[in-house]
Parts: sequence; structure tokens; C-alpha cells
Amino acid sequence: MRLADAIWASIATVALMGAASPGPHVSLDPKEIGKAPVSSWTTFNGDYSGERYSTLTQIRPDNVDQLTEQWVYRITGVGAQRGAPAPVIKCTPLLVEGVLYITIPDHVWALDARTGMELWHYVWRDHGGHLVGQRGVAIWKSTVFFETPDNWLIALRTNTGKELWRKNYADARMQYFSTSAPLVVKNHVIVGVGGDAMDMPGFLDSFDPRTGALQWKWWSTPRRGDPALKTWPNEAASDHGGGMTWMPGTYDPDLNLLYWPTGNTNPVFAGQGRPGANLWTESIVALDADTGKLRWYFQLSPHDTHDFDNTTAPVLFDAAVHGQPRRLLAQAARNGFFVTLDRITGIYLVMKPYVPLDYYSGLSPQGEPIPIPDKDPSVGGSINIVNATNWEAPAYNPKTGLFYVNSAEGKAIYYLTDDSARPSGYGGTIEGIGHTRRVLQAIDPLTGNAAWAHVYPNLNNAPVTVGPSILTTASNLVITGDDQRNLILYAADTGRILWHHELGANESGGVITYMLDGRQYIVFGAGDSLCSWSLAR
Amino acid sequence: MLRSGAIGKAKRPVVRRAFGTMLAASCLVAAGIAIGQEPQTGSQPAAQQRRYQNMTPQQRAEATREFLGLGPEPDKAAATRGAPLFRRDCAFCHGPEARGATAPSLITSDLVLDDDLGEHLVPFLKKGRPEKGMPAFAAVPDDQLHDIAEYLHLQVEDVANRGTYRLLNIVVGDAARGKSWAASHCMSCHTAETFAHVAKRFRSPGQLQRGWIWPSRSGDQSLAVTAAVETPDSATIAGRVTQVSDFRITLVDGLGETHVIERRAGVEVRIHDPLAAHQAMIMTLTNEQMHDVTAWLETLR
Repeated sequence: MRLADAIWASIATVALMGAASPGPHVSLDPKEIGKAPVSSWTTFNGDYSGERYSTLTQIRPDNVDQLTEQWVYRITGVGAQRGAPAPVIKCTPLLVEGVLYITIPDHVWALDARTGMELWHYVWRDHGGHLVGQRGVAIWKSTVFFETPDNWLIALRTNTGKELWRKNYADARMQYFSTSAPLVVKNHVIVGVGGDAMDMPGFLDSFDPRTGALQWKWWSTPRRGDPALKTWPNEAASDHGGGMTWMPGTYDPDLNLLYWPTGNTNPVFAGQGRPGANLWTESIVALDADTGKLRWYFQLSPHDTHDFDNTTAPVLFDAAVHGQPRRLLAQAARNGFFVTLDRITGIYLVMKPYVPLDYYSGLSPQGEPIPIPDKDPSVGGSINIVNATNWEAPAYNPKTGLFYVNSAEGKAIYYLTDDSARPSGYGGTIEGIGHTRRVLQAIDPLTGNAAWAHVYPNLNNAPVTVGPSILTTASNLVITGDDQRNLILYAADTGRILWHHELGANESGGVITYMLDGRQYIVFGAGDSLCSWSLAR
Repeated sequence: MLRSGAIGKAKRPVVRRAFGTMLAASCLVAAGIAIGQEPQTGSQPAAQQRRYQNMTPQQRAEATREFLGLGPEPDKAAATRGAPLFRRDCAFCHGPEARGATAPSLITSDLVLDDDLGEHLVPFLKKGRPEKGMPAFAAVPDDQLHDIAEYLHLQVEDVANRGTYRLLNIVVGDAARGKSWAASHCMSCHTAETFAHVAKRFRSPGQLQRGWIWPSRSGDQSLAVTAAVETPDSATIAGRVTQVSDFRITLVDGLGETHVIERRAGVEVRIHDPLAAHQAMIMTLTNEQMHDVTAWLETLR
């Protein structure tokens, strides 16, 4: 920021916060964080469950044709960022006391939810890291938490965007970078990290929300003395084994357990230097929220060599199984399997492919897929599935009992480019082959079978690294989009299309809904714009 | 120095009211004009991927370096000078490509990653780490230590910058088996003419492998997806599909005229994809079949 800009910015801020405008007074009671979202949206997933389910019913199948755009906030003045030609909103907005908080890499905005007017804008000058996306902020009392591409946790005032403190938790030179939204649980700010170019170990940090002091750290791969080291050839391989924590997890307050998905193993495609299952990469782990101690794990892809990066949401839901109420967890994994676990024990109930795949020979007694070695990347090339989904949010509707996911069905050739005994980095490359199609699926998590599926017609391949997120409501709606700029509302029980609208860009972040002044709003990012919709007055 | 700050500019948002028919109509016109180009943000990743595939190896490496924030490009000439020095002085403990042997891998070393131009590594190498058994290289001239540092940076680049990765020799199959597989699987649609000198049409075996499994539609009208669309008034419009969604299909007919058709009730769309048989093949093709056919086609020059 040039000096003149800085002076102007501070004047503008003072004017905004001065007598002319009282400014917002946002403070989020920690007891309200993670509760079912009604008039606020307090965490990345709205609540702690990851269901992205709203009990609101003002917008219903019989009035969706009255949906009207209320305002659009367009990001201007940012321009191209390193490696990103134009800003794309990939965050889920948070809403507290009428103020929306949105992000892109290096930027946070607070907006008036009634008008879309900008209240403040915070800019970070990074020194490294990937600017590939930013999932949003966390809020606790009157503090906003934000992760920068170069791995700083920034604490800002909710009302002014003024920085309170900052804390660096990983080295960008080691190719760690951050895109996640922190998750606040009790007096912990849980921070995950990404970066798989350089064979570094993943971790999850818990910080004190007041001071940024580190409370605990959980490593995604075992350290010296841990029995799980037997799933690695040696300590050095484990110390460089990956397992990034780059998507927010979920939390069960009654069990005080965090459920975190862990990313791909390193080296990424070249697995010959790391024989073994390579725990706890490619897993769902249950951690004690106060200590970070591992309670159980379930590994989706033992010895992954396909960048199956198991970072999709572990969605918590309760359901009766054989007449018994159960606390369950379901995930549509990027390796193409749908898994349902008991979230107290980690024992699986369902493990079933939800896209066509042929890379496994069966399930282990624990329910893990047993990969066929011929399907590993090879010098001559090996055909396997593309990632079956990605970071775009799924949803679960307790009324229909269905889990909604935008899946990708397609194939790629996986090449090994480093066939040495000591590969490093990715060690391979991937080339898409044939047509990849997007399919919206409504999966019964107690069977793994799709109750309905909708194939999106498209001449182009469905992008496998971005996609439309999902929200579902008690009024039998599934709200999502296609890859051709349409926002689409479906009947949650049947998959019938109820309404659509062509936007300026694809729905690109999380979709949220809330009541404000007696009206239900639907808010989402689409490219460089945040869009707010409601029923016509 | 990290600099940041809150900017309190109050910006006026675009406020829109009811989404009227006028706006809907203008959207359709806009969509009509956009045809033939990429749908704007709609398929940005696909466009980016195509751009990436068309880059030269050098451009690809630079783009990936920028995306990953990998820092300055290693000095390749210095690294080439440093390679024999590294082999002489370092490889015995750290391995020939610095990936570790009796001593740790240097690819992920804090010291190497924090160094840009030898400013940390050169003084460090001069002193060594005697307490851990690493000798001091005080007698090696600074410029040679610089060259060793650049060699290490190049090893890091070769690992971390996947834009520099190259396929190895992918021709690993059995050509005779590939010929026989093709004879029984391809000849219901193709003739020997299809395969004549096919390897000459591709720049590399990797492109040949991709190209025979999933031929590029660009530049070959016979591979275009076509459709016949019946509208409620019984008119049928047929042509090349340039876009299709749940709500709209866009066709270019034989006269070159573009038709944008809303997929309302009563509109029936029948799509024909000349590559449907290849798509089906991809879903069941084994690696051995792929390797064998590629090996056979590589012989057809």
C-alpha cells in the first residue's frame, strides 16, 4: 500500500467508525458457535456437523419462482493474483449480527448483509504460498481469524478489521501453504495447513483465541516411538509423508471429538519409497479437542498413490440402524468410496464406491479398500479414476435421510516420472482421458446407494479441482449449481429441478442461508461476486 | 517486511430488483454472441488446462514456479558446474541426487530451502557440522561452494516444480500383442488406413498414447458432437453442438447458422457422439492393452 493510500484508508476507516456511522457491533457468544444456523452462520459448515442443512422454510418448492436477486457485491481492485488470473470467491461466508465476512487469498471483507455495502477490507501482503483459494474466516467473540497463503494466523477485530495479533505456524519455503478456514471449538482455534510439493508432514494446530499461543499440535504422520511407524519403512519417510489438513473438520460437542480429514501421502504418485499403509494420511481421524490426542482413525486409501487427498467433509448425523439410535459420520471420499462410520468407535457400517471404479480387489476386515498394484502409476501409464469429488461442500438432509454430493466420473492416465528407489515430490503426473461428467447424487448413507442421481449435460469436462457446493433445507430443497453458471434448486427427495438462474459465473464457494429482518436469504459466491437472493417483496 | 492493514473504503454494491423478462432476453443475446468462444468463467479450468498443455516446457516450468511460489529460478550453468563437485564432496553421505543416504536428504533441508543464492549455504559449508560428522569445506573456493548451492537448488526445483517433470520412455508394451488386440477391437469402425504412419502424426509416444485413446476433436469436424433437436412445433434442427446444459442447447447447422434453443417442456434432444465407442473403451481398457497398442502404433511411422 502506498503512503497516500494508507493515509486515505485510515481516514476512511475513521470516518466510517466515527459519528457519521456507528458501524457494526459484532460479538459472537462462544456458546452460539456451531449451533444450528438460523439467523447467523457461525462456522465454515454453518454448525459443527458439516450437514449444511438449514431448518428454514420460508423459501419453498412452491415459491422458488419468486426468488429475486437482492444485491451483488463484486470484488474490484484486486486483479490478478500470483497464479490466479482473476479473483474467485471460494469461501463460505460467515454471518454474525447482520455482517457477512468473506475472503479470497490475502483479503478479508466485512459486508453489511442488508445492502452488500463494504464495511472494511483487510489486505495481507504475502511472502510466498499458493493463492489457489481461501475457504473463509472463523469468529470468536469480537475476533475474526484468517489464514494467509504463507501460513500466518491473523486475528482481526470484527468491527474494524484492525489487526490484533498474528502468528506464523508453518514455513512457506517448505511449500506449506494455507487456504483453510479455522474452526473455533470452545477456547481453541483449530488451524489446518496444506502443501504437498516438498514431502513435508501435515499437522493440525490448536491456538488460544485470545493470544495465539499454541495449545497443542497433532502430526498427521507418526513420530518416533509411535507404533503406527510400522506403516512406514522408516522414520524419515514418515517425517516427510504428507497428510495435509487443508479443509475444516467437524466436531461433536457431546463426545468432545474433532473429526478431521487428512490429505494425500507424499511422495504423491511415486509410492515405491514408502511401502506400507502410511498412517494417518488419507484418513478420517478423531481427536480429543482439548489435547489433540488421537482416539481413532479410519484410513480411506491405505498406501495412496493417486493423490486421493481425503479432505472432504466428515459429515456427522444421527440415525437409527436396526432400530438402534446411532451417532454416525459419513464421507463421500475423493477416492470414489462412500463411507459411513460409527463416530464413537470409528468402525465402519458402509464402504461402497459411488462412482464407477475398478482399482480395488476387495475390502480389508476393517473396511479399507485393498488396491490392485497394477492400478498404481507406472512409467507406461496406468488408467484410474479422476478424483470423485473435491473441496466443494456436500450436504446431508435429516428429513430425507440423504447425503448430497456433486461427483465427477472420469478417467485419467497416471504416469510415474520418477522410478528411482528414492522418489521425492510428486514423482509422477496425470493426464485426463475421455469425458469427465458431473453427477449430483443423493446417497442413502445407511446403504451407500444413490436414491437419485442427476447427470449434468455438458460438452466440456467437469473440472475436478473445483465444483459447486451444496446446501439443503427443511423445505425439501437442494441448492447447488452446474459448471455452466446456473444456480439450480432441486427437490431434495426426488431430484426434480424446481428452478434455475444463469449467473455471471459458476457458484464457486459455499452456499449459506439465514433469516434477517424476517426474510430468508440465500448467499453464495459466484466468481468475483457475492450474490444475495430472497423472495420478491 | 510484512505490511498489511484495514482499508475502510465504503463501496457501493450493485442492487438489483426483480429479474424481469427484459434482462432474461438480453442474457440470451449475450450468450448467443459468446458462442464459439469459451463460456467465460463457466469452464475456466478447462481453458486453463488447454493453455497449460499448449505451453513449451520452459513456459510450463515458469508458470508452475510462479503458481507454487518457488522463488528464484536456479542457475542451471552453475548447477552443471556444481554437479561433479557435489558428487566428489557430498554424494557419498547425501546420495547422488541429494535425496539422502547415510546422511539426510537435502531436498527438504531447512537450510537449503531458506537459501536463495548461496548466502546461507556458502558460509555453512565452509564451517560444516563437525559435531554431526559433516566436515568443513573451508578449502573449497567460494565460487565452487556457490555452484554446489545452485546444484542443490536445481535438485529441489526438479522435485518441487512439477512443471519440469517429463515422461520417461512410456513404450513398454508388446507390439505384436497390441496389433492383434487392435485387429479384434478397432476394425469394426476403422480400416488399416486409419493407422498408416500414425506415429508420425504425434510429437511423442505420450501424445500418441493419449491421441489414440481419446482423439482430439479440434480440427476434425467428423469427431464433433452433433444433435437433432425437436421442438414442440415439430421443427427439427440438427447440427454441431457447441454447448449443452439442462436448460439450453446451442447448435451450428450445416449453413453455419447458430441456433440457441431453450430446453423447455416438449423440446427433445438426441445427441450423437462419434467418440462414444472410445469413451466406453476407456472405462474398461486395461493398462496392458493400452501399453501394447501404443507399442504397436509406435512402429507405424
